[in-house]
Amino acid sequence: MDNSLRLVPASKSKSASVQDTSNSFGLHDTLAHGPRSLAAEVHTVSPIKDRLENWEATQDNLKLNLERNVYGLHAPVRKLMERNLVSWNPHMPTYRSSNIHLDILMGRDETIEPADFMTPSGDLTIPLSVHADMQKRRGM
Amino acid sequence: MAAASVYQGAGFDFTNTVRNTFLEQRGLPLPKATSTGTTIVGCLFKDGIVLGADTRATEGPIVADKNCEKIHFISESIRCCGAGTAADTEFTTALIASNMEMHALSTGRKPRVVTAMTMLKQMLFRYQGQIGAALVLGGVDATGPQLFTIHPHGSTDKLPYVTMGSGSLAAMAVFEAGWKPNMERQEALDLVTAAISAGIFNDLGSGSNVDACIITADKTEMLRNHVRPNERVEKERKYTFRRGTTAFKSESVKHLIVEETITPTGEAMDIS
Repeated sequence: MDNSLRLVPASKSKSASVQDTSNSFGLHDTLAHGPRSLAAEVHTVSPIKDRLENWEATQDNLKLNLERNVYGLHAPVRKLMERNLVSWNPHMPTYRSSNIHLDILMGRDETIEPADFMTPSGDLTIPLSVHADMQKRRGM
Repeated sequence: MAAASVYQGAGFDFTNTVRNTFLEQRGLPLPKATSTGTTIVGCLFKDGIVLGADTRATEGPIVADKNCEKIHFISESIRCCGAGTAADTEFTTALIASNMEMHALSTGRKPRVVTAMTMLKQMLFRYQGQIGAALVLGGVDATGPQLFTIHPHGSTDKLPYVTMGSGSLAAMAVFEAGWKPNMERQEALDLVTAAISAGIFNDLGSGSNVDACIITADKTEMLRNHVRPNERVEKERKYTFRRGTTAFKSESVKHLIVEETITPTGEAMDIS
């Protein structure tokens, strides 16, 4: 939990250049630093992406901070603990499952949002290696 | 063990943004924003709200739909007119209608217009104007008739008569000249029709018919194609040519069906 009282996610500036990885000719040194990737080279990322992906976290952080200021540290601690308890999911890690307890604690059990029905295609595909996912999840 | 994120995520797929920004930096021209055209209005009268909309949908210079519906359902006595990107207005109003229904089920009361307005502005503010929905929200609830406009970036206005879309200036001129408090139902409907007609005839992005919706405390009346000032008339001249208009010099008809005649040869088979 961060201590700021931000309402909306801050816009992060992404800076990238081949300056760090250039050789004496001023070009990217592939032998020393590996192949160039687009992700590392573009200077700007979509500002709306960061905003949308961090939206809920930022707003939640604000609420937790306000609770901390008004009621004391125990309020957000208790809330986070409850969330931690209900978000433990013993089922198969690779398949999507609903968690009504968590939805109630997060206050989204009576709302419908794009995330409820527009899952990015990457999250929907069933992963091939269940064992690898299980190992990753259990820290084996 | 790291706990899974308790947050839901954006619901959108941003996997192509890196590639697109890279291509943009390389000078690939990206699609330009298409200007959108609509006239939508709303005004207060003695017992409620009258909403109005034209029915033209454009794709830049092309009229995509001559009779589309721009007054969307939110709840029984709340309706919302949408201007801007048609898909965005459609999606936004459908999502808020679902949320309003769930809110009504949870509270057990008739939903209020401010609730819908707050939901809409919070949603649109989150998307920073990337959802191109300019809305006129009107309805009657426990607190009386309410009328709002919501801009694509999430700012809202509460006024006795409002207009939106590219024909808003023409429509607002009509309202400024003709609106007065505590109008009768027919008077208000005529004023809204005049305002939409001003948009239809003076704004290129608006056209076709006038839709209206009258919301009072006990009834919501949807007047689809209330006035049809641009009925398509029969063409003055026909462009089909008479048979035999074009002269021809020769004629040859090929028979495609092959006819064959069987000629028996040799001796007939002995079948005795």
